Amino acid sequence: MNLELTQEQKLIQTTAREFAAAELEPVAALLDKGEQREVFFANLRKLAELGFMGINVSADYGGCEAGVVAFSCAITEIARACASTAVTLSVNNMVCEVIQAVGSEEQKRQYIPRICSGEYLAGAFALTEPAAGSDPAGMSTMAVRDGDDWVLNGSKVFISSAEYAGVFVVWAVTDPQAKKGRGISCFLVEADTPGLVVGRAEEKMGQHASSTNEVLFQDCRVPATALMGQLNDGFRIAVGELAGGRIGIGSLALGLGQAALDSATAYAQERNQFGCNIGSFQAIQWKIAECATELEAARLLLMSAADKKERGQSYARAASMAKLFASEAANRACNEAVQIFGGYGYTKEFAVERYLRDVRITSIYEGTSEIQKLIIYRDIVNSSS
Amino acid sequence: MKILVCVKQIVDLEARLRVNDDGTWIDCSDLALRMNEYDEYAVEQAVRFKEQCGADQVDVTVLSIGAATVTETLKKALAMGCDRAVHINDDAAWRKDPAQIAAIIAAFAADKGFDLILAGMQSQDRGSAQVGALVAQRLDYGCVTTVIDCDLQPDKITVRRELEGGLKAVVEVKLPALLTCQLGLNTPRYPTLPNIMKAKRKELLSFDVEEFACPDPLVRTVALTPPPRKGSALIIEGGNDEVAAQLAKILVARRVA
Amino acid sequence: MKCVLVMHSRQGQLPESSYELFTCAEQIGAEQVLVFIGPRAALPPFAGRVYLLDSEVWGEFNPGAHCQAIAEIVRSEQPQLVVLEHSSFGWDLAPRLAASLDAAQISEVVAISADGYEVPCCNAKLRRVLAPATPLCVITVQSGAFDAASPLVGAVAQISEVAPPPQGGKEKFVAYEEAEAASVDLGKAEVVVSAGRGMGKAENIELVARLAAALGGELGASRPVVDAGWVEHDRQVGTTGQCVSPAMYVACGISGAVQHLAGMKKSAFIVAINKDKDAPIGEVADVLAVADAVQLLPQVLEQLG
Repeated sequence: MNLELTQEQKLIQTTAREFAAAELEPVAALLDKGEQREVFFANLRKLAELGFMGINVSADYGGCEAGVVAFSCAITEIARACASTAVTLSVNNMVCEVIQAVGSEEQKRQYIPRICSGEYLAGAFALTEPAAGSDPAGMSTMAVRDGDDWVLNGSKVFISSAEYAGVFVVWAVTDPQAKKGRGISCFLVEADTPGLVVGRAEEKMGQHASSTNEVLFQDCRVPATALMGQLNDGFRIAVGELAGGRIGIGSLALGLGQAALDSATAYAQERNQFGCNIGSFQAIQWKIAECATELEAARLLLMSAADKKERGQSYARAASMAKLFASEAANRACNEAVQIFGGYGYTKEFAVERYLRDVRITSIYEGTSEIQKLIIYRDIVNSSS
Repeated sequence: MKILVCVKQIVDLEARLRVNDDGTWIDCSDLALRMNEYDEYAVEQAVRFKEQCGADQVDVTVLSIGAATVTETLKKALAMGCDRAVHINDDAAWRKDPAQIAAIIAAFAADKGFDLILAGMQSQDRGSAQVGALVAQRLDYGCVTTVIDCDLQPDKITVRRELEGGLKAVVEVKLPALLTCQLGLNTPRYPTLPNIMKAKRKELLSFDVEEFACPDPLVRTVALTPPPRKGSALIIEGGNDEVAAQLAKILVARRVA
Repeated sequence: MKCVLVMHSRQGQLPESSYELFTCAEQIGAEQVLVFIGPRAALPPFAGRVYLLDSEVWGEFNPGAHCQAIAEIVRSEQPQLVVLEHSSFGWDLAPRLAASLDAAQISEVVAISADGYEVPCCNAKLRRVLAPATPLCVITVQSGAFDAASPLVGAVAQISEVAPPPQGGKEKFVAYEEAEAASVDLGKAEVVVSAGRGMGKAENIELVARLAAALGGELGASRPVVDAGWVEHDRQVGTTGQCVSPAMYVACGISGAVQHLAGMKKSAFIVAINKDKDAPIGEVADVLAVADAVQLLPQVLEQLG
């Protein structure tokens, strides 16, 4: 058993770390204010040029074939500096992977290289609906066959990167008569397709540079070739192929938690109260020790899930466990970091305030902690029976 | 055209450094390792020459002396665009002085016919700024140190050396030559992920350091110590509010206008 | 003990820091012999033997020929020590000399003790004490490490001019290029407030600029900050930038690399803001505020009104 990263994985991790420190960290606070979107876009393009948009994607389609462990390490390093950039990176990689897994050869050639190269700043998943969040099978967006086309109608919410995505992976009901979850299909819809309307942006608690919008489909007509995967197989794609995204979000959470812990550890050694630095108090030492231990456990869970996926083993349970644990541990770490900073931690003078807002969503999106537990339980029961 | 780039792997100097057991160098275990920054300029310059002259016109070999871990640094150089790497395996490279390191590099390069050798102007950890010039001396190559700009022509190279106070000197040197690279020569690229993966398949030659003649050391390390504290400064410590207030008073007393 | 000091002119002028070599030699109590590459007019006052390589014929940069001639002089003088400045001159010439003479070289000497030569390493976080294993040793001396000696008044030198070299070396000097005219003359400022790497990012330089303005001074910067493009090159303080000696120098987030210290340590009053109490800047500072400059400056600015 070897828990060491390979030299290639280490190099990718270091490259991500150096890029993040030089290009992302200095602008993260500005981006958080919702300013300088252009800088955000420029950084996405630079990351694409370096190969970060298709880390675990075949070189045939412009990817790097660097594997899932490298993907996880890269997302963590990027998130240490800027969570908004990291979430865009994670989603872009997953859009590429999903198209690669279920798309037709033509679809793969059409879209994956554009995301990998940065021609498309982003790809987006349009799954969640106002009344179908944790329960996507309850969706109501419809796709109706009309001659050679499909016509989509409905509305999606909380769609990451919608404002600058070049292509959307859209789930819609194609067989309303089928049993729940059996009549849903997946479509690839280009951003400029008439009838695809990017609606209002959510005003969020954090991750401000990454846009999150409502997306409306109003008689949105796409050709039959826009169907991705088998007809009525969309729900399986949503629950099966998106499991890798949990590794991405778990890795993102880990990066935020690590950034918060690093800041708090340094601050504890500088901040003097009662005539000594606060790091000399056991109350602070315990917080730092506990957070460090939990984050290390999160990292190992993530590495284990990533390694399973990379080896082609079933990894859904591992990915859910890693995402659940990493996002919860990171939430605790960011919370404790603010506590260690005291009043200053509650001000925008210090990045820990941003980390805490940015991390909160990690135990919600890409499947809430509660849903992860559901998945884990079902997997335990199914594999033991 | 054949180029040799010499790189050194160093520890992350931002880390807390401890003196090792024999008291002559730092304990490198558990520290992050990276390419000496000056050497990154050298690698970048070699790759730029390759791009400028055509990939098939320029062949770049990158060399490093050190323990097994230096292959990581060599892979970075390969990912940045060098064609092959040479690892001269030496667990005790940190014990060697600049003259010994230069002798080993020169012994390797002697019969290879490199037209150009690029090295960092100095290492960030020891900062001797000797190895490049010593290699040139041993190989009887022309040598220009502290280069911040260079222009490659068919049989010579025109460079700018950085002198003091912003002054520069334009110098020409015939090939074969060795240049040592100063900060500001270029902006080293990040290796791209596809190139990191491709670097895996590039040639990485390994030699044992014993294969190269190495003279006895010319310099002996007596001790490694923290710098002395003069301690004459008035130290202001405490909470930021307090420090700011005290400091402001001092500044106001001495400000102009 | 005998030492050969190697000095040079730059554009016909003797760099002021050359006088530091005399102090260094005096400190070891060595007999001094001077080799000077430059015009006779720029020779520093010196009591003793001088070998003059007149730059009219030898050139100011002609390392191959310089090395050969100086090696010859060293062989005939048989000193224990050859001393050069740790500058673009010494970096280039010292290793060539050491190699020609099979001598040890010790670079960037900042102090000399009974145990050996002290040189900084690892960003000046540590010091190595080195001793040569050869009878002859070439050292380069960090500018600013030894105080400059005052020029000797009325000293009489025995000057022997070295015959011109037979031919040029492998490296050919073409021209000097002046620094782009500095729009800011930090040398004239009474207060200089400089930003270092510790300011973290470009956006934070604003804080340092505001402090400079509040104190009626100019903004300066350390080399890493200039290289990162946070501050224009003409505001760089240090050996490769401008050397300043204002009434007050404020170093914000500057740990104090030797090259930076050499450019500002003569300031009349030095204030440093640094979170690392042990940073080398503390050695030259009159006041050291132990704090993260990024966090402290807004509060200081508030106090200054």
